[in-house]
Amino acid sequence: MKKSTEHTVAEHTHTHTHTHTHTHTHTHTVPVPPQSFSMSSTERTDLGRALCIITGASRGFGRAVARDMSRLVKPGSVLVLAARSADDLRALQAELAESEAGKAGLVVECVVADLGQVEGPESVVRASKAAFSEGVEHIILVNNAASLGDVSRYTKCFTDMTEVDSYLSLNVSSSLCLTAGILQAFPQRPGLQRTVINITSLCALQPFPSWVLYCTGKAAREMMFKVLAEEEPDLRVLNYSPGPLDTAMQEAARSRTADPSIRKSFSDMFSQGQLLTCEASCTKLMKLLLEDTYTSGAHVDIYDL
Amino acid sequence: MQDIYSTNPKTLGRGICIITGASRGFGRALAQEVSYFSKPGSVLLLVARSNTMLQELKEELQSLTKDQQLMVHCIAVDLSTREGVHETVRVARQEAINEMDHVLLINNAASLGDISHFASFTNLDEVNSYLSLNVSSALALTAGILQVFPCRPGLRWSVVNVSSVFATQALPSWVLYCTAKAARKMMFGVLAEEEPNVKVLSYSPGPMDTDMQVDIRRLTGSNHHLLPCQESAAKLMKLLLDNNFLSGKHLDFFEV
Repeated sequence: MKKSTEHTVAEHTHTHTHTHTHTHTHTHTVPVPPQSFSMSSTERTDLGRALCIITGASRGFGRAVARDMSRLVKPGSVLVLAARSADDLRALQAELAESEAGKAGLVVECVVADLGQVEGPESVVRASKAAFSEGVEHIILVNNAASLGDVSRYTKCFTDMTEVDSYLSLNVSSSLCLTAGILQAFPQRPGLQRTVINITSLCALQPFPSWVLYCTGKAAREMMFKVLAEEEPDLRVLNYSPGPLDTAMQEAARSRTADPSIRKSFSDMFSQGQLLTCEASCTKLMKLLLEDTYTSGAHVDIYDL
Repeated sequence: MQDIYSTNPKTLGRGICIITGASRGFGRALAQEVSYFSKPGSVLLLVARSNTMLQELKEELQSLTKDQQLMVHCIAVDLSTREGVHETVRVARQEAINEMDHVLLINNAASLGDISHFASFTNLDEVNSYLSLNVSSALALTAGILQVFPCRPGLRWSVVNVSSVFATQALPSWVLYCTAKAARKMMFGVLAEEEPNVKVLSYSPGPMDTDMQVDIRRLTGSNHHLLPCQESAAKLMKLLLDNNFLSGKHLDFFEV
């Protein structure tokens, strides 16, 4: 039996145990938010005083992450929300300002940016540096922004290099450059935890007919973040696959996919009510972050939990 | 090595073969293998940036295969540009022969990229430029050639992705290379799923004695035992001739 060189994600050899000590005291000036999951003595109930950067934050999963983060970070935290839509970002910012967390002092900054352009990642890094304050004990970067690409065409139709370049710029390069910029801006030091999240997909692991751009981009990102996990043992790196979500991206998937059987399976998921809400998937992501026991660099799928 | 030549009666047929990064290293070794195993009247397109080196290779191949009527064309282009890809596709269309039974596209051209800490890659233009050559170009070229030679009964279609163990194994400081190889592996995996009449092979050639390896040694201080390019090229050729591999598979020199 020939040994396969393909390393399954479970064989990833990085085993990292993370010890996190709080050196400050918890003083709650507002009621502790209700917990929707059981607490153990080792599980945190919050993500600390955090600077949390979320891309693609204006809708879909990114927006759900922003909402959940706002509830799990401590007073004195900042959310930096990046997306292209100024209107949607401001609406979210206003909503969060009116929330309990907002009233307790959560700061929400908006960065209107196209991450596929040079200025995009740079402007997010700048805003993050400006938002940082000495009390921040946790940097959380959520690489969520992505696009589906044209799923109405098969691989043999992608003869235009410019189209492919543009797709990779947004979906691969920008997450590398943004993450690198954030890591440079906030280097490793005692008392500062850094968590990098890549919103991935089953498509990172499995080829889907008529989805060449999306699968290629996700596979690329997943490897990228695995390299990061290997390089930086003090960094917490999570490749989170959120499952099939009820979003605009999903709508495009079920209406435009060229491959008949893939299109049908997405369509059936929708019509049979099998799509997940962003909130439900986000809750699982938050649980992962609070428990903080995942193997850095591992691919974790919602259906594994 | 002689055994492979004398005992394998199989050939690549009478067709067109396109090899990128053909001027040196593994691509050059592949050109030699392909020319040996192609039937008379076949066309070989050698693509690289250096016209001088391509012409030298062409002369060498034509002197070795005098009786074979192998038509060798040199395409000196930069595949990191859309013009380079389009020109390659144009020449392929122009030089196609009648009654072809095989199209073989070998996506070999690649670059190492900067070997550096992840946090150093803040320049979007640099990363985009790297992915353009190492990912976009291979996709656009493969698509372009598939458009020129649509699948039809009687036409054997083979696509090779020259890959690496680092398509599946993360290596610190190698984020660009690993990312691009992982991207290509998936990309060609999707093609294999979509096109039952195209045999797609991702081949990881092992560490070879090439200019790329010189750079690797200089930048990382590594010191592997290196394979001669010809040895790895011969193994790839055997895989193509035997044609038993499952389309979409990722195979490594050391496994086969």
